[in-house]
Amino acid sequence: MSNGTMEIKAISGHRGGTPGGGVYDQSDGKTRSGTSRDYDVCKLVDTTTCIGCKACEVACLEWNGYDFRDTTFDNTYQTMPDTAWNFWNLIRFNEDTDADGNLQWLMRKDQCMHCADPGCLEACPADGAIVQYQNGIVDFNQEHCIGCQYCVTGCPFNIPKFNDQTKKVYKCTLCSDRVGAGLEPACIKACPTGCLHFGSKEDMLFEANKRVGQIKANTSYKDAGVYDPEGVGGTHVIYVLHDATNPERYGGLPRDPRIPFMVKMWKGPLKWLGGLGITLGAFAMFMHYVRYGPKRVEGEEEKKA
Amino acid sequence: MTNGWVDIKNTDMMLIMGGNPAENHPCGFKWVVEAKKVRNAKLVVVDPRFQRTASQADHFCQIRAGTDIAFLGGLINYAIQNNRFNKEYVSNYTNAALIVNKGFKLPEDGLFSGYNPATMAYNVSSWNYEAGGNVTGTAAAAIAAGDGPATADTAAQVAAPQPAAMATGMGHAAGGPAAAKASPGAAPAPPSLPPDVSYDTSLEHPRCVFQLMKKQFSRYTPERVESITGIPREKCIKAWDMYTSIRKDGDMKKVGTIIYSVGWTQHSNGSQIIRTAAMIQLLLGNVGRAGGGVNALRGHSNIQGATDMAGVFDILPGYLKMPVPADTDFATYAKRITPTSAKPKEWDSFNYWSNTSKFAVSFLKAMYGDKATKETDWAFNYLPKIDRKYSWVEQWDNMYRGTVKGLMSFGMNGVAIGPNSHKNINALKKADWLVVGDIYPEETSDFWRSPGISDDEKKQIKTEVYRLPCAGFAEKDGTFVNSARWLQWKWAAVPPPGEAKLDQEILARIFLGVKALYQKEGGKFPDAILGLSWPYANPNNPSLTEVAKEINGKTLADTHDDKQTPTDWKAGQQLPGFAWLRDDGSTSCGNWLYCGSWPDAGSNTQRRNPDDPSGLGIHPTWGWSWPANRRVLYNRASCNLEGKPWDPTRKQVWWNEATGKWAGNDVPDFKVDSNPKDHMGPFIMNPEGVARLFVPLGPMADGPFPEHYEPIESPVVNELHPKQSNSPVVKKYKTDMDKYGTVADGYDIVCTTYRLTEHYHYWTKNNPMNVQLVPEPFVEIGEDLANERSIKGGEKVKVTSARGTYIAKALVTTRIKSMQIAGKKIYQIGIPIHWGYRGIQEDKGVTGLTPANLLSPTVIDPNAYTPEFKGFLVKLEKA
Amino acid sequence: MSGGAIVQPQSKTAVAEERVVRYTFQERVIHWINGISYGYLLFTGLAIFTPYLAWMGTVMGGGGTIRYWHPWIGLVYMATIIQMQRMWRSDMVTTDADRQWSKNIEHYVKNEDDQMPPVGRFNHGQKQFFWVMFYCVFILLVTGIVMWIPERIPRSFHWVLPIMVFIHSAVALVTIAAFMIHVYMSIWVTPGSMKGMVEGTVSSAWAKTHHRLWWQRITGRKN
Repeated sequence: MSNGTMEIKAISGHRGGTPGGGVYDQSDGKTRSGTSRDYDVCKLVDTTTCIGCKACEVACLEWNGYDFRDTTFDNTYQTMPDTAWNFWNLIRFNEDTDADGNLQWLMRKDQCMHCADPGCLEACPADGAIVQYQNGIVDFNQEHCIGCQYCVTGCPFNIPKFNDQTKKVYKCTLCSDRVGAGLEPACIKACPTGCLHFGSKEDMLFEANKRVGQIKANTSYKDAGVYDPEGVGGTHVIYVLHDATNPERYGGLPRDPRIPFMVKMWKGPLKWLGGLGITLGAFAMFMHYVRYGPKRVEGEEEKKA
Repeated sequence: MTNGWVDIKNTDMMLIMGGNPAENHPCGFKWVVEAKKVRNAKLVVVDPRFQRTASQADHFCQIRAGTDIAFLGGLINYAIQNNRFNKEYVSNYTNAALIVNKGFKLPEDGLFSGYNPATMAYNVSSWNYEAGGNVTGTAAAAIAAGDGPATADTAAQVAAPQPAAMATGMGHAAGGPAAAKASPGAAPAPPSLPPDVSYDTSLEHPRCVFQLMKKQFSRYTPERVESITGIPREKCIKAWDMYTSIRKDGDMKKVGTIIYSVGWTQHSNGSQIIRTAAMIQLLLGNVGRAGGGVNALRGHSNIQGATDMAGVFDILPGYLKMPVPADTDFATYAKRITPTSAKPKEWDSFNYWSNTSKFAVSFLKAMYGDKATKETDWAFNYLPKIDRKYSWVEQWDNMYRGTVKGLMSFGMNGVAIGPNSHKNINALKKADWLVVGDIYPEETSDFWRSPGISDDEKKQIKTEVYRLPCAGFAEKDGTFVNSARWLQWKWAAVPPPGEAKLDQEILARIFLGVKALYQKEGGKFPDAILGLSWPYANPNNPSLTEVAKEINGKTLADTHDDKQTPTDWKAGQQLPGFAWLRDDGSTSCGNWLYCGSWPDAGSNTQRRNPDDPSGLGIHPTWGWSWPANRRVLYNRASCNLEGKPWDPTRKQVWWNEATGKWAGNDVPDFKVDSNPKDHMGPFIMNPEGVARLFVPLGPMADGPFPEHYEPIESPVVNELHPKQSNSPVVKKYKTDMDKYGTVADGYDIVCTTYRLTEHYHYWTKNNPMNVQLVPEPFVEIGEDLANERSIKGGEKVKVTSARGTYIAKALVTTRIKSMQIAGKKIYQIGIPIHWGYRGIQEDKGVTGLTPANLLSPTVIDPNAYTPEFKGFLVKLEKA
Repeated sequence: MSGGAIVQPQSKTAVAEERVVRYTFQERVIHWINGISYGYLLFTGLAIFTPYLAWMGTVMGGGGTIRYWHPWIGLVYMATIIQMQRMWRSDMVTTDADRQWSKNIEHYVKNEDDQMPPVGRFNHGQKQFFWVMFYCVFILLVTGIVMWIPERIPRSFHWVLPIMVFIHSAVALVTIAAFMIHVYMSIWVTPGSMKGMVEGTVSSAWAKTHHRLWWQRITGRKN
């Protein structure tokens, strides 16, 4: 399996353009950015076939080398209330009823969505702490993380989690280490029912839409749909939902996730206005000094006069 | 499984009931998902709780635990009333057309004909076919003559001597716990099936099996089923309609499968529940077909292998019956256990069990080698003879009564898998010794640490406990036999740690030690021990390769057989299949069903070629499945009478007129040159050649047809026959520890037990990873019950049965609803079984230290001896 | 009320210049703790604010370190401001004269100080600066605490996070503007002020020029 290029697409907190020399294109021997080999990778999570077995939770822990942790029974099958800095993949269990009053037990694999327009990266001030690859993976590089947690602020999915000991933020890497080596992410590998799929975004969207068409045609779930929210430019983890009109039912999946407006204002206008203001202010003061100079103390004036 | 895991992908309709594969078989469940995704198959789930499997269902019904036969009986009634069955299949491939004895009576009053209240057993002589020829066309006359089945008034039967067990039901079919049955016991002249059975292919004769069945289940109306099961009738009808929709007007294109597990077996009528399912599948023509069958999901990676290799007391490997004291020599034994064909005269029957003596002699050769000769009667007298039942619960009962003095517990946690764990703990206190082979300290090895035993009392316990360090599953090689009957070799991943030993080394060294003692001291009957064949390179540590080859079997002499290819065999060659087995002592075979798994060319169990030329998920060169590497049993039934597949898009086997043989993508489960014109029945393991909707002569101790009986502990009386609420042949145990609760005593809630995906039985509580996923025991309680008792989620609750108390936190859920049963509001709760008093959380003191089976009753199914872990009575309070 | 004693010149050689105490030792210490902490906050804040000033963070100890100390130093900064408010409460009261002064601010900017009404210890510009810094610190505190521990904010309130970050940055920019004027005024526009804040004394003439009412009060002179 080829997994698109791990060429860097965007870097957090970086001044100037994105470094990197593009990709060597065998067909004409030229190196260019965005060659024909580029495509976006994508995880497809079909919630309609998820049985909540948590194999992905365990695979994630084991691949990433995190210890098992103490948990407490909390009136649910869900392993813990939320993902954690060292627990990136959580099945959310939600009991519900469908439109006809039939019980539903919705299980959703919660993890980083790898947004095409990542709010974490937008918000991050640390140079190189968050990197987006050409293949769509958004990865954290803890070496460069300063622990400001602006990514927590920027993320509409509540994914980045802070480690109090290391003072760094962590999240799902979409197994960039495996994907870079041509393997599928660990969660995909572990899934026993085939609810998880991995491939190019194009292929996964095709699969997802096909499945949605099948669900609509053959079951009572007429509102089935694909969750690939436009507000963040689409995601590299997409869901098939029985009820795409109410994603909130799946453990708080946001209906229309966007990078928060205030983050955009802060990282956009405010930043530039602030910079401009400081520069202009300094210049104005200098001009003031040139024009008027310092204030004279009366005595000195008298002395000089 | 009659079929296999992969085969589920071929189905159009699934009924999952008495099982929760999404929870307990998540890897196999992928084929359910595949069927839904690729074939748009529909899934009906019936369970006491809305569980993980239900989350995938197209239609779900919440049933009261223990009322499965009522629901399934309603399904049979619905199918018959709405012409949702195939007459060609039913009349030719099942015993629907066969005529039953005049004396047979249906259980309108809860009792079949022949019941003896003193022995709590049936005289089954009336449960037989009528001898005679074809009576098709005489139905009208018979009805006019009032020639129906017997009634309560006319069925007064003289109690004859207890008959011995007979025949095999579905033969090697289900493979589930129900596969091992038959009650042993001495009997002089057991009634036998008539060699030529009277039949009516129009299925109209009032005493033909079909009419009896129709009459039996006509009592299971939607109203009655609703009142018994608690499933609203419109939901019942929707489920029945959905499932039988594959057979609209008898059209045979589509296929449906029934998938179950211990949710069916663990009842006091578990075997009969499975029979009901088998009847549905036969009625609808789903048995033998790709995407069909009756599919038992086994609960351990190798429990199928354990069953095949005589995991139950009354069978030998390959489901040969255990000898009884009346079997004074091999000939008597062979005659007793070898059925003779019993069929309509015009039909043919392969009666494969007629080869029994070949299997039995080869088995004795494998056991006793040179000691087993024609002159020594094959060393038949070395085999133990069983004079009564030695099932699991009875062994513990005997230990509690003081007659069993010691226990070797390997590969299980006897106390925790109870029923009635407290009785088991007290039984162990009375034992002289206990040997536990396990990888962790567990509830059995540490029975003396169970809560409630004071330090002073601990000192009084005289039982000597030996803990032997065993190897874990990843540290052993050998085969796993999965639910699909596939033998797959596995290689050890890591060596056993420390002083841990492989099971075969432990057992070999114990055996050789015992043998040395017999050699030195003699003893009562040393021959059986001293004569055991032990031909391993290292007697102290036999390799499993040697054992596997021994089980497969080999030739012992140069032989010539015109019927087999090649015709000539040298002594010492591995056998390619059970067709080569002989009863003259020239072959040895540890288990005839496994013959062919390890031929001369090498182990078929180690094959890993995933090719699937037919696309039907047969994968003929991946591992090896018994029998003879065929993946779907009874696959002759996938074709119509002419030998053409019912569905040409799913061709498994077919009759090839040109070659005069059966051919197929799968290995035909049939006499390969039997021309369809000869009308040989596809169910070759039955002497009739056809499948049994009606089970004659008592392989099923509780009746030839299934009938709904309430669980031993039930909140209501049986609506069908209030005077016979429970199964008439199910006995209660009699010690002071065997207590049974009633609603009158305050036990008002139906309780069921089950497993979770996140845990595996009683040992993952020692693994931090599993503990993390579900850290503590809990009790699943429906919202309305929790509200009524003011119980909040996460609060500790106390569940009490007549036998014990279980303490855990409450999981309050919308997924269990209260039910209306016979006009009463009944609540149901559920308990996952995975905890006890040894484990990570247990040792930390986080949990209540109460194994779930402290609650369950000592009651067993009369056929398979499985305890009733589902559907007993408890009370619920805040702790 | 602080300051005000007339100090005799220390130097025997220099031309005797009359000096007055403008800030006590305590006032100077508080001011400089405040000032230095502000500087730290300024540099580290700007480093996190824009990658173009990230080098400031490197100077201050590197990314993780500055993120760690910024909030703690912020608390120090706030504590000193509160102390300042306690010390200078009465000096910072806005009077009618202040309002009059502000009306004539144009003259002040143009250094036409003779056109300005006389002021007390602090002119209205200084007072406004103080109050801007004083009120802003509370806004920075509230928003800063949220930014400090965003994970402790319940999920349902996460929507406040970006608002808090925005306000924190915007208010910080306001203080930066005020701070720049403050520094410019003290170092370049009114020579001698720095000495007052470092050594504690200013020349009597300086005091008379810039804070005539205060000078009159402490010296008891009219001219």
